[in-house]
Amino acid sequence: MTGKAKKLRKLIKSIWVFNWFNSCGFTELVPVVGSRWDMERFGMIVTGTPRHADVLFIAGYQTPKSLKRAKRIFEQMAEPKVIVALGACTMTGGMYWDSYNTIKKLEDYLPVNIYVPGCPPRPEAVFEACEKIFEHVLEMKDE
Amino acid sequence: MSEKNPTAYELLFGPAHPGSGNFSVRLKVEGEEVTSARADPGYLHRGFEKLMEYRNRMQNSILSDRVCVFEALNWNLIHAQAVDELTGEDIPEKARYIRVLMAELSRIQSHLIWYGATSMGLGFDTGFKVAFGYRDYILDIFELVTGGRVYPAGYICPGGVRRDLPDSAKDKIRGVLGKTREMLRKCESFEKTTLQYRTKGVGILDRGDALRLGATGPIARASGVSSDVRSDDPYEIYPELDFEIPVRDEGDAYARCIVGRQEIRESIKIVEQVLERMPEGKLDPIKPKLANKIPEGEVYVRNEIARGEAGIYMKSIGEESPYRCKIRGPSLLHMIPVLEHLLKGAQIADVPAIYWSLNICPADMDR
Amino acid sequence: MNEMDLIDGLELEFGVNAEKQRDRRVWLTVEGGALMDVLRYLFDKGLEHLSAISVTDYPGDGVYELTYHLWSYADNFLVTVKTKTSRDKPAIESATPIWGESAQIHERELHELFGVTFKGNMDLTPLFLEEWDGPPPFRKDFDWRKYVNEKYYNKENEREKPYSI
Repeated sequence: MTGKAKKLRKLIKSIWVFNWFNSCGFTELVPVVGSRWDMERFGMIVTGTPRHADVLFIAGYQTPKSLKRAKRIFEQMAEPKVIVALGACTMTGGMYWDSYNTIKKLEDYLPVNIYVPGCPPRPEAVFEACEKIFEHVLEMKDE
Repeated sequence: MSEKNPTAYELLFGPAHPGSGNFSVRLKVEGEEVTSARADPGYLHRGFEKLMEYRNRMQNSILSDRVCVFEALNWNLIHAQAVDELTGEDIPEKARYIRVLMAELSRIQSHLIWYGATSMGLGFDTGFKVAFGYRDYILDIFELVTGGRVYPAGYICPGGVRRDLPDSAKDKIRGVLGKTREMLRKCESFEKTTLQYRTKGVGILDRGDALRLGATGPIARASGVSSDVRSDDPYEIYPELDFEIPVRDEGDAYARCIVGRQEIRESIKIVEQVLERMPEGKLDPIKPKLANKIPEGEVYVRNEIARGEAGIYMKSIGEESPYRCKIRGPSLLHMIPVLEHLLKGAQIADVPAIYWSLNICPADMDR
Repeated sequence: MNEMDLIDGLELEFGVNAEKQRDRRVWLTVEGGALMDVLRYLFDKGLEHLSAISVTDYPGDGVYELTYHLWSYADNFLVTVKTKTSRDKPAIESATPIWGESAQIHERELHELFGVTFKGNMDLTPLFLEEWDGPPPFRKDFDWRKYVNEKYYNKENEREKPYSI
């Protein structure tokens, strides 16, 4: 293990999150911040700007209009960065597979690292995805 | 040559702002004051109405909860009512009571989101955490009865409800109502201090404007229009229930918060009456029908959802899917005419307070 | 005023046959030329709330049918007015002089989704779609499943082959 990776291992104790959610994701990501499933005890907070964030949560179906904005936000984040895609609509189009105005596969447009299935995914699933992020980032920096 | 005003510029209050939802508003600003606003919807447009033309009635009952995620059961109910009126079927009495019970619980839960999100927009973190914390008790009831915390998988479907309430549900619901009353007491103490100072006199909508711009629901009731679809155009078992309609005159953001809190109290009263009067006896689960065609005809159904007046115009020509299903949601009117009118002359710092106090659901606006 | 009084009044004034579907619901059909007069008459009788405007597409008959749903706060009943217009270049007069902004927003949405021109509406800019250059999306001859299949699904891909219709 190089000296640089050793330093990074010490730094990665908490991740900061930027939420980009369409409607269905809003309703199950907000309780994650709330008092029952508290995410601040793991060191995760919601930031207001993409420059401060490590992780981008994309939850719910995207339309071409909102995908353009999501791409701009992703480009503004600093390395190392991770995208977590929540919901069945990001994987295959979900319920709206035959709609003319939704994106069917998010990985055609953005590099997704983790998919979390569900409609919408439960808060416990979101925490399990965050645990996998820690492992993923450590792997990334060993290269 | 006209003088260029150095403090005039255009500001985009966009979708990634922490104080907004999935919509954006272009503001023309001079100094700190907004001179005009133009709303920019369409981030969530799926073409819902035509998606319903490809699916049959049971598939539509599952799709109908996704019109607006915050009040999934209310949209379920209005779609089921539209199909029931076309088929003319007899709904069992107990199913009617269960439908009203779930719709009122969904209304309470939606008003708690309104309360929490308004607090978040005003920078009042305690109110946000408290409201979302107490809302989880109601989501546990939904999981017990329907199987899903947020989306009930088409629980209220044409013909009644999918299955009966479990035995332990009634006591648990009474427990949850007690907890909601606790939450209301906390809300009253918030209103005397923080909420009042940040929302009084902000975003005033008077009665004539409310009628002209098409505002319905709690927004209109806070401006003096005393009408509620549950009492003017009643459906299900509402004619037998006893509840009041809170109305206020001032029309500012504070009045809307008060109306929202009083509506939670009225909904608790309705749920208690329903639990007392519900008939005994077991309800059979719905059997999927093989001969699924909807009879010919056209109907227009109106319902009172948490945000205002909802309507469905359904036309059928005798096939399994409806020929045309137009969905009228309250948020289209609240977002574009009402918001653009209220933002004229407001301060930039008041924009989140005005927006959240109107209780807009962007998904219901774009469909 | 109750539903039957209104039905009699409409028959006297315009010669249209309105019918009462059930409690609190009245339906009537008018010709395109008489539409504005009937709507203004109904507004003066207390039907101040415009609930919705909708368009239904009948490609077999070559018409678009518009429906206006009006509610009266004073007397508690709903009146639906239906009228037809041609499907090729659909144009009709706007209801904004009577109902103002609440009619304007409904007409703007229908202009984008069905292609109906409302004469007299000041603001018919696109509402939901950005950079859309196809046909009006809600017409019956625009098949969504075919469109999605061609644009979004890749037939070479193993994972997506079962979805190709």
